Amino acid sequence: MSIPSGAENPATLLPHPTSSPRVRLPTWPRWARITLLLLPALLVVAVFFVGGVAQAVAQSLGYQPFLPGHGLSLDAYRRLWHDPAVRASLLLTARVALLSTVASAVLGVAAALLIRRLARTRTVVTRLVQATLAVPHLVGALCMLLLISQGGLLSRLAHAVGLTASPAAFPALTNDGFGWGIIAEYVWKETPFLTVIALAVLAGGAADLENVASTLRANGWQRLRHVTLPLLAPAVAAGSVLVFAFTAGSYEVPYLLGQPYPATLPVVAYQGYQNTDLRARPEAMAVAVLITVLTALVVMAYLATASRLSRRSL
Amino acid sequence: MRRVGVVLLLTGLLLPVVPLVVWSVSGQWRYPALIPQQTSARGLRLLADPRTQVLHGLRLSLAIGLVVATLSVCIGFAAGRAIGLYRFRGRRLVQFLLLAPVIVPGLAITLGLQVFFVRYGLANTVTGVVLVQLMPTVPYAATLIGAAYANFDVDYERQARALGAGPLRTLLFVTVPLLRPALILAGVFAFLISWSEYVLTLLVGGGQVQTLPLLLFAAIGSADSTAAAALAVLVVVPPVLLIGATGRMLTGSPGVTVGFGRL
Amino acid sequence: MVELDRVSKLYGETVAVDDVSLALRARAFTALLGPSGCGKTTVLSMIAGLLAPDQGDIRLDGVSMARSAPERRPVSIVFQKTLLFPHLSVEQNVGFGLRMGGLARSEVRRRSTEMLELVQLAGLGSRHVRDLSGGQEQRVALARALVLAPRVLLLDEPFSQLDTGLRTEMRALVRGLHDDLEVTTLFVTHDQTEAVAVADEVALMLAGVLAGQDTPKAFYTAPPSLAAARFFGVTNEVPGRVAAGCFVSADGTLRHAACVADGAAVLVVRPEGLQLTTETGPHCVPGTVVAARFAGTHLVVEVRADGGTRLTVHVPAAEPVSVGGRVAVRVPPQACTVFTQPR
Repeated sequence: MSIPSGAENPATLLPHPTSSPRVRLPTWPRWARITLLLLPALLVVAVFFVGGVAQAVAQSLGYQPFLPGHGLSLDAYRRLWHDPAVRASLLLTARVALLSTVASAVLGVAAALLIRRLARTRTVVTRLVQATLAVPHLVGALCMLLLISQGGLLSRLAHAVGLTASPAAFPALTNDGFGWGIIAEYVWKETPFLTVIALAVLAGGAADLENVASTLRANGWQRLRHVTLPLLAPAVAAGSVLVFAFTAGSYEVPYLLGQPYPATLPVVAYQGYQNTDLRARPEAMAVAVLITVLTALVVMAYLATASRLSRRSL
Repeated sequence: MRRVGVVLLLTGLLLPVVPLVVWSVSGQWRYPALIPQQTSARGLRLLADPRTQVLHGLRLSLAIGLVVATLSVCIGFAAGRAIGLYRFRGRRLVQFLLLAPVIVPGLAITLGLQVFFVRYGLANTVTGVVLVQLMPTVPYAATLIGAAYANFDVDYERQARALGAGPLRTLLFVTVPLLRPALILAGVFAFLISWSEYVLTLLVGGGQVQTLPLLLFAAIGSADSTAAAALAVLVVVPPVLLIGATGRMLTGSPGVTVGFGRL
Repeated sequence: MVELDRVSKLYGETVAVDDVSLALRARAFTALLGPSGCGKTTVLSMIAGLLAPDQGDIRLDGVSMARSAPERRPVSIVFQKTLLFPHLSVEQNVGFGLRMGGLARSEVRRRSTEMLELVQLAGLGSRHVRDLSGGQEQRVALARALVLAPRVLLLDEPFSQLDTGLRTEMRALVRGLHDDLEVTTLFVTHDQTEAVAVADEVALMLAGVLAGQDTPKAFYTAPPSLAAARFFGVTNEVPGRVAAGCFVSADGTLRHAACVADGAAVLVVRPEGLQLTTETGPHCVPGTVVAARFAGTHLVVEVRADGGTRLTVHVPAAEPVSVGGRVAVRVPPQACTVFTQPR
């Protein structure tokens, strides 16, 4: 009787009830098993992700399946490069994404450090943080509109205490040129995300290392700076990359909370896509490709720096 | 000092929700009043009104969510087993590829996909929407379940086989129960991602598959804050309840919490 | 000189440390010995300042440390889990405390390198913590603690995760460092052979209480209590009574200096203290051999005495013993300890 490798077929270890020839159950070779298991998921990724990106690239180069007779060219990209509107959009998108990410990271870590030191209220606050995470972004956009717009609750509070006399006197935080409303919604939703990540890291042994540091003559601030923050850095950085990618690529929030012009890149892409004039399609696709490239660059930058510091978390 | 921090944190978390809830039950709430001049159930009644299609949208969102959750957990279960249990060449690449749809914005990917959906007659259909929603959900399911499999002791399965259980029974009675928390979490995440999804449904559904997010988007654009707020309250309740129920599983490894980002 | 003065620590209802008064002689190597859960780690944490005692005081050279934060105590501690900082290199780990104290970088590097040589890890300064073996990790943890020239060094079962050969090596290293640097050392362990092998003095803790503090030899020859004797592996306990200066049991009478107070008592004697003999007479208990097991360096022989008591005797491996045969056990009085009012 052959010994099955790694006991992958223990059925052959059992004695056969009669003495007829032992039957070996068919076992798939390992590589076949792995491939079969991965196939559905990889199919989803290949068809949708790879297919979608490839199509976007192709269409941005002029490939139009419904319009005959157009050759491939980089015209769309050239037009983008010279279009001041696109440049303004790029600036807005980068600004909003960067500010949101940085603010969420700082606030998220601060919140996690605070929650860690709570005793009786800790569970309640943690549940509240998780609940905020669950709120869909569309709902968040509406919340912001109702809260910080010029007719919103904060404006009315300002009026009630005498700071403003009319809606217009309250600063325009929604549908404004800087993107304050957009940033506010992102920060409200993404801070809890980074808080949950930071809390998970802190729960996993940070306290022990901080104790060691205190026996090594480190005071509170030194422990924070030399132990706690470096421990949090990998996971929070990975989470921040996700936040950046999301805030750069989201459509519904900037559409509802921003201005029509300049709009963020995803809004520009969608509007170009909806244009009934199909000749505008390549440009819309080029913007989509631009968004993809932008996010990919950020991820690659993260991977490059993280692996150099060899503390990758993603 | 700590108390001040807690108050600030709680205020920051809860304040945006306050006007939403108040608007949903207000009849008239003109500037500069701090509370509505009139409360009314109009917003809530609108939700049940067949003309607004909200109930239809609710059924649609629920159905699509459940199908997407089931499919992505099944696909993720298989892929997660491969990633978590086996060491093979290209494993890191596969993990990375699986995360790509999560990182790269869905809009940028789906704009190009439209052509496929039109060609295969899936545009403007519920089936098309279900399929496209697999794109953001399968990676999460696979990553979550993969992480659970990495901590799974395959000797349990071997023990079951040695005791005479066939592969299917081992799967059903040993593997699945042991992985249950991860499977539930993956299902919940997939459902929530589907429930909140707007852009993908809009693009592939062509505006004809009217899930709750599409209705909500239109309501926000209208001048009726009460209707929008009431609908938003409907949209927000299931996610909050689901996360509340499964919250305890989230205090684990940071990898698990990555799933939240997509919501 | 470290003193714990009637220190107690409670966790809710449970008393982890119960009115413990312990004095460590300056520059001595003391082992704090006891089974898991007896409170030894709690005692260590309190000396280090990571936990505050609920009652009592902790003093260093007469000065109370109870109010000082851990970072201000001249105490260093090495834990069971090495807890090296994962984001720092070996040398940065070792120099951590010096950096926190504000020492110049060049001086930090010099002292760290010196200390790494002392723990026999010269040249590994730039290695990353992940790439170290278990033994190397512990050496780095030791170096990190000792480079600060502490007045007291605390070690919390630091070698329990290592395998036997490595453990012996590390014990010798720690003992050697202690002798070279002359630092008061408190070494926590649950293994009495380890405690006996490495320490000048042993403090035994059982269930949160200090059950004895003496040289290792004394714990063997004259254990302070029945519980202490049991912890140190005494297997022969003979119940009986004390009367007129003698210990009286079903198997005979023995005159013993400790027989002062009349009443119920128990006599304990180590298996190594007994011998098999064919003589009769005082202090020779006749009986039958019930079992004989080979244990490598000796035979473990179980004898059922005629009075009913079972005695375990260790005899040299070559000695001829037959199961079922008649034999007498010689019980030397000086090898016995009598405890009155056994619990």
